[in-house]
Amino acid sequence: MDDSVQFKQLMRCPVCFSRDIDVLMIYAGNSAHYCPKCSFQGQESEIRGMYRDIQKKFHWMTKRLTLEEQRRM
Amino acid sequence: MMHLNLLHRPSPGPNYPLYRRQQELAHGVGLKVTIFLHYQDLFDPAAVRDALRDREEFGDEIALAFHSPRGPGLSVPNGMIWLLSDAKKREVMQIILSKFREVFGRGPASVGSYHLDASCLRILKELAPEVEAVVGGCFEEGVRVFHGCNHSWYLFNEGMPWNPWYPSKTHALRPAASEEDAGGVVAVPHLLRDMSLAYEGRNDFWASHPPNVIRGMGNDASFCPYDLNLIDQFRMQEEWNGGYSYYNSFVSVPWLTWNHNSEYPPEVAWELYTKFLDYLRSLKAQGQVEDMTLSEYARWHKKNRPIGTSEVYLAKEMLYGSGKHYFWYIDAGRRVLIDPTQGGSIGDLRPYAGRLALSTGPDTPNRENGSYPFLIQSQHRTGNSHHSSDGARTTLLLSHGGEVIDLAKIRTKVAGIERQSGKTIMTLTPAEFAFSDGLKGSVVTRYHFIQDGAIGIERTLAGLSDPTAELTLTEYFKAAYGRTEYPEDLHGIRLGIDGADAREVDYDYSGDRHESSGATCVTAAVPQIKTRVELVAENGRATSGACQVGHLFSPYFTLSLNYSVKNEERIVTWMTLSNLSS
Repeated sequence: MDDSVQFKQLMRCPVCFSRDIDVLMIYAGNSAHYCPKCSFQGQESEIRGMYRDIQKKFHWMTKRLTLEEQRRM
Repeated sequence: MMHLNLLHRPSPGPNYPLYRRQQELAHGVGLKVTIFLHYQDLFDPAAVRDALRDREEFGDEIALAFHSPRGPGLSVPNGMIWLLSDAKKREVMQIILSKFREVFGRGPASVGSYHLDASCLRILKELAPEVEAVVGGCFEEGVRVFHGCNHSWYLFNEGMPWNPWYPSKTHALRPAASEEDAGGVVAVPHLLRDMSLAYEGRNDFWASHPPNVIRGMGNDASFCPYDLNLIDQFRMQEEWNGGYSYYNSFVSVPWLTWNHNSEYPPEVAWELYTKFLDYLRSLKAQGQVEDMTLSEYARWHKKNRPIGTSEVYLAKEMLYGSGKHYFWYIDAGRRVLIDPTQGGSIGDLRPYAGRLALSTGPDTPNRENGSYPFLIQSQHRTGNSHHSSDGARTTLLLSHGGEVIDLAKIRTKVAGIERQSGKTIMTLTPAEFAFSDGLKGSVVTRYHFIQDGAIGIERTLAGLSDPTAELTLTEYFKAAYGRTEYPEDLHGIRLGIDGADAREVDYDYSGDRHESSGATCVTAAVPQIKTRVELVAENGRATSGACQVGHLFSPYFTLSLNYSVKNEERIVTWMTLSNLSS
């Protein structure tokens, strides 16, 4: 049995993750997940949208900074 | 030249083909691997056969993993060898090393673990003197990862070197000061970490490990230039470290399949790992990277990086786009982090000069915490004041007309680094200030790191809009020893000051402040970490000083020296950390 298959539907709580805490949500059916640590619950599509919000703070996430560019920073 | 160690370890059962794919990927781009076999792998004929073939065909090294110490006749409930008692460490190592020798006819030259404390290293060298290299610790892994893993990951490794080091016999995370002090191996960190973000937050998001970055959500699906940016930032350090840089990667198989740290399918991790290795391949082709096995690296290190070699790291934050700089310095006497964004305050200070002995395990008072204690850790202990009182930090206070400007609220950057024999000088860009009455000027800060000696904090006042003005500059040092964010018992600390009202005071949580006119030296003796810290004004230039005991709502001690300074004048305060018993 491949243990990894249990993680195929994994979602981490976006509220806890925004506090730098990894908490695995529990699947409640119908694409809904709830967090066992905080009160957040939501649909997968909403959670993925919240992940994108979390990433907005990384202004240079898609920026390649070469060695020469870093030297000039 | 960047020296590269690529580290892999098998995974059993349905994951074994993924490990083989990982090996093929590395060999396909022409990189050699150090294969860490777990105890249970030593009973798997396929794992042994494949490792021998990879060694034969590709020059891989077969090393021994102390991770997951379980298998026939061996079960370690906590799975972490450094968290066992002394006797149990010995028993487990004997079993594992004996099996390794049975399979390969000799002991390993390299051993891996997330952490190997001083007692593990001592026992390992007794049982296997042939070991030359270890993966010995995870840089700045501790409080934030403990929080981040929902308070379930008990790996406390803060205060260690970011690059390979010679572990001391008495504290494996402290770089040895001499051959006599050294534990007999070269240690490398488990991954290289982002030297900005591993200080500000979790070290396990921002590392030389593409799936770690997925965990931190630093990728846009299979687009993640950060993985390559980090390699280049480590390469950049060659400029200040004699042309030397080091990198490694240790991605284990569970990160390359469905796992609890990623919402992406495994294809994304594979693609990012492939791009990562391909970039290293291209650097190797350009002669910028040399791949080595771990024991090859250890031999190179011993030949080229003598015990006691100091190193620096200029970190430039590159994910948020803040442009922040951090400057790190390490030698056998201390590890220091300067935070230029806070005017050049010290954000982290590990006083290795105290040579605190520490091992982990249930038979020690340290239990699970193997970190080297700090005197200052501004992330764990408040730093600059922004809520209640300030916490552990240094700064310069500028006083004029009843107003005080805290240099920690003025942003600077690293303007220059000079490495000379036995001395490193780091200069910051000018910190521009303005008082409410219109008086303006700047302060230029230079740090002088004397190898294994004092740290000189030089401040030059310049460009005063009123050249006749005279400011009071206060060199300010606030500290408390610790290994976590929670306060420790500070009883037993003794503060001292010279001058007209010279005195020594015991730390009693009274909050009392003791001033002395004419003071040029303030001290603190911290027996818990066997460290004495001393601030001395160069040429007796200070006019007064103070030492202050904290209280239970601000459990720190504060040392300060005051100077009267005019335009274009310069002051230097020398900070010395020493062993309390010497």
